Amino acid sequence: MKHRMRTLTASTVLALGLVSGQALAEELRFTVWTGSEAHLKMLNEIAESFKATHPDVTVRFETIPAADYTQKLTFQLAGGNPPDLGWMMEDAAPTFAAAGVLMDLGSTLRSAEGYDFADYSEPALGLWVDGEAVYGVPFSTSPFMIYFNKTLFDEAGLEDPLQLAAAGKWNMDTFQDVAKTIKEKTGKWGFEFKDGQGYDSRIMHALMPPIRAYGGDVWANGECGFDKPEAIAAVQQLHDMVFKDKSIVPPGEQGDYFSGSSAMTINQISRASKMPEAGFDWGIAPLPSGPAGESPVIGQAAIVVFERGVQKELAAEFVAHMTNKENVAKMAQFFPPARKSVLDSEAFTSANSLIPAEQMAYVSDAIAKGKVLPSHEKSPQILAAMAPKVDALWKADANVEQALADVCAAIEPLL
Amino acid sequence: MADALTEKGSARSWRAPRLTLRQREAIEAWLFVSPTVAGFLLFFLGPLAAVVYFSLTEWNLLTQQATFVGVKNYVDALSHNPDFWHVLRNSFVFAMGLVPLNMALALSLALALSRPFRGVIFFRTVFFAPVVTSAVAWAIVWRFLLQGEGGAVNQMLALVGIDGPNWLREPDWAMVAVIVTRVIKMVGLNMILYIAALQAIPRDYEAAARLEGASNWQIFRMVIWPLLAPTTLVIFVITMIGSFKVFDHIYLMTGGGPENGTLVLAFYIYEQGFKFFNVGYASALAMIMFVIVLVLTVVQMTLRRRDMQ
Amino acid sequence: MTLTVRQARIIARICWTVALLVVAVPFVFPFLWMVSSGFKSATEIFGQPSLIPRVWRWQNYLEVFEYQPFARQYFNSLYIAVAVTGLTLVISSLAGYALARMRFAGAGLLMLFLLSALMVPEEVTIIPNFFLIRWMGLMDTHAPLILLPVFGSHGVMATFLMRQYFLAIPKELEEAGKMDGLSPFGIWWRIALPMSRPALAAVSIITFLFSWNLFLEPLVFISSLEKFTLPLALSNFTDSYGLPLWHLQLAATSLAVVPILIVYLIAQRQIIESFALSGVKG
Repeated sequence: MKHRMRTLTASTVLALGLVSGQALAEELRFTVWTGSEAHLKMLNEIAESFKATHPDVTVRFETIPAADYTQKLTFQLAGGNPPDLGWMMEDAAPTFAAAGVLMDLGSTLRSAEGYDFADYSEPALGLWVDGEAVYGVPFSTSPFMIYFNKTLFDEAGLEDPLQLAAAGKWNMDTFQDVAKTIKEKTGKWGFEFKDGQGYDSRIMHALMPPIRAYGGDVWANGECGFDKPEAIAAVQQLHDMVFKDKSIVPPGEQGDYFSGSSAMTINQISRASKMPEAGFDWGIAPLPSGPAGESPVIGQAAIVVFERGVQKELAAEFVAHMTNKENVAKMAQFFPPARKSVLDSEAFTSANSLIPAEQMAYVSDAIAKGKVLPSHEKSPQILAAMAPKVDALWKADANVEQALADVCAAIEPLL
Repeated sequence: MADALTEKGSARSWRAPRLTLRQREAIEAWLFVSPTVAGFLLFFLGPLAAVVYFSLTEWNLLTQQATFVGVKNYVDALSHNPDFWHVLRNSFVFAMGLVPLNMALALSLALALSRPFRGVIFFRTVFFAPVVTSAVAWAIVWRFLLQGEGGAVNQMLALVGIDGPNWLREPDWAMVAVIVTRVIKMVGLNMILYIAALQAIPRDYEAAARLEGASNWQIFRMVIWPLLAPTTLVIFVITMIGSFKVFDHIYLMTGGGPENGTLVLAFYIYEQGFKFFNVGYASALAMIMFVIVLVLTVVQMTLRRRDMQ
Repeated sequence: MTLTVRQARIIARICWTVALLVVAVPFVFPFLWMVSSGFKSATEIFGQPSLIPRVWRWQNYLEVFEYQPFARQYFNSLYIAVAVTGLTLVISSLAGYALARMRFAGAGLLMLFLLSALMVPEEVTIIPNFFLIRWMGLMDTHAPLILLPVFGSHGVMATFLMRQYFLAIPKELEEAGKMDGLSPFGIWWRIALPMSRPALAAVSIITFLFSWNLFLEPLVFISSLEKFTLPLALSNFTDSYGLPLWHLQLAATSLAVVPILIVYLIAQRQIIESFALSGVKG
């Protein structure tokens, strides 16, 4: 009975020319790391709209906390209990792609009606495309921005980063200056690394923006970049800010920006949802430019389909649905898009109810000019090899050049 | 009974052969131990054999492809990988710091609390309370208390004029911190075991020694300590094994850092197997850990036995 | 002024008590700090430290239950610990009894094998057990959290404790039971078990705590939120970006710890007695 009914629906769907005949399953399991009600509501709406073409299909979004996300996902895959789809962070992508656990979505996406795969900005796809194969579709291409505490800047009598940026004076030097002044005048920290985790789980997120601003990179083409002069200069400046100016929250301390203990931090626009309860005036600004000019850094996350899932074809169709123009525009309120058509639209700059359009303009500008965070097939090993050397870097008496040379020595065999 | 014996071995019909009492007891005994034995084979001996096999392969957890590589993993660990020796050293430092500190504190507390006095119940409860606390909760709280400047520990030290270190960010201090917080967490159990043992020692022994004019220390050294030897052995073995397998405490307090200063063997195995997906290498490390613990236990037991004789 | 013996004794007593109180600080302070921080806002936790919250946020303790299925996770931990304890008691006392009282071929060898299991940390066998559990189709279920402790090195330890205790109790009653025609099972159930309450109590306590605190196994085998046990759930009070929500985490931690502490306070005399009587001393 049921089977016949399904065949019936399937043929209707076929008639619409949207899917192949295998789309007969009931429930797709989709792992995400957000537990936010607003996010889940939006995701469920998208799943609901999938019913227009696939009336039998429901999608269950399963929250795995971000801290253990990749680990738990691995256990599910290795444990023979893979989800059908999932979010994946940029640092995990090459490992998973190389292990052959991600499905190639290329043909499904290119043949999906009205999908317009070419609308995706090519740099944004870099990590997820290999020749014709497409291993994931970025749903969040989110540049790192400076969040600042306007109230503290006013208290210290300083121009805020947004004003400085408008005047073309927002660079690594002024960044160091204002951070120092804030610390001296208000007693609060000038700057906190992303989510206060710059010394442990977010080493890369802490070091990457200044290194790129100075024109360096952490690695490229199998060569370590930490020991190049640009990187050394950038890290030396951060090191001075932490230990000489004492304007950056040092290791082992808490200086939470969101509760007003630091005047600036780096984060993505999704964190704006934390701001209404913060209790101070705030804004976002671009990253300070450096000797190499502007060089925005982008963090990325994509939707992938797991090769071992039993309903992978159906799952691929859901990806096509979820990342079509209409839904990407919808998701843009939380997740900056990689679709050029959405990015250029006014809808995007006005999509975020918390961030004014002129600040959002800096966001789309950063997406257009930015480079995605570095990633590597052996990311977990590289990070583990780096961590102890970076720990040694973050000491008051550390020799920055030597410490960075040690970092390179540790990771070079893995690159 | 004689009946049964004479009939032993004689051909019976299709019915169950009549068994000797001895045989019947053996069968019953095996029935009694069968759940333990079945579980032991399935969840222990089988897996242990599997570890031996895995350790001889190169096996990626994610791609699920295995190739036989012989003893390569062992050679890699023992001769090519400087991390391994560092990790092994950490494990020994952890054990050698934790075991004596734990046992000395447990025994001192037990000596102080084995006789009733007003408040004894209160103190026994206080010192045992961390044992019943989850290790996760314990680690979470201590991570806060041990913060560099804002942490309560350093603020207390500042009251007496000591400028405390940034505990969890300096490799050596981090090791001290994880050892001490672990001892505080677990010492209560050993204290109770010692109290139980002390209470089992007849009062007459002590009284007799006192009549002969022995000092407190002499009584402890000549009477009590030797009588505690079996308990000490059990406590030593349990604590030593526990210190080698410490995982959650490290995972939550330091994640093996800083500068790999608290990266211990159990954590390293987890990282290799489940983070880098090197099942083969992780298994070789697991075998090495097994051998170390086995050797330490056997050595200790032999020494003790010789001692007692 | 010279002191009487009585006065000297009182002074010594006071010195002792003060010394013990000082030693007790690091044992007690974490609890006080944890419970008080559970009432604070995230901002205040990072602010000037004080044991008394400026504003008592009782709602933290409610939010804990809204944030993730905490009641369910609490229940998971409880029922798993009870199941592990029950099964361990039955299985270890059966085997312990046989090893103490019955003569059978292979007993010595079996003892030796079991002894070796005592020395193997769970980390050694976790990888093959991962494949075993997957093969049995029990991934992301509570079964491994029950089976592995019961049959792993902890179960073996319980077996030993039971064996030691059975060896120490007098045989006469059991002999009498045999005369009355009781089966070995009957003797175990009606005579040996009732006589070994202290050992059973000690094994229960150790086993319950062992299961309650289990971390590696749930970390590896459980991935669904509603199947989490407390240790996993506690480290899981994070916002959508993986940042810890400290005030909720500490409130939840207090909720996880305090009931156990209360049970312990009520039963502490019996607990210590059962350890004393059970001959855990080896």
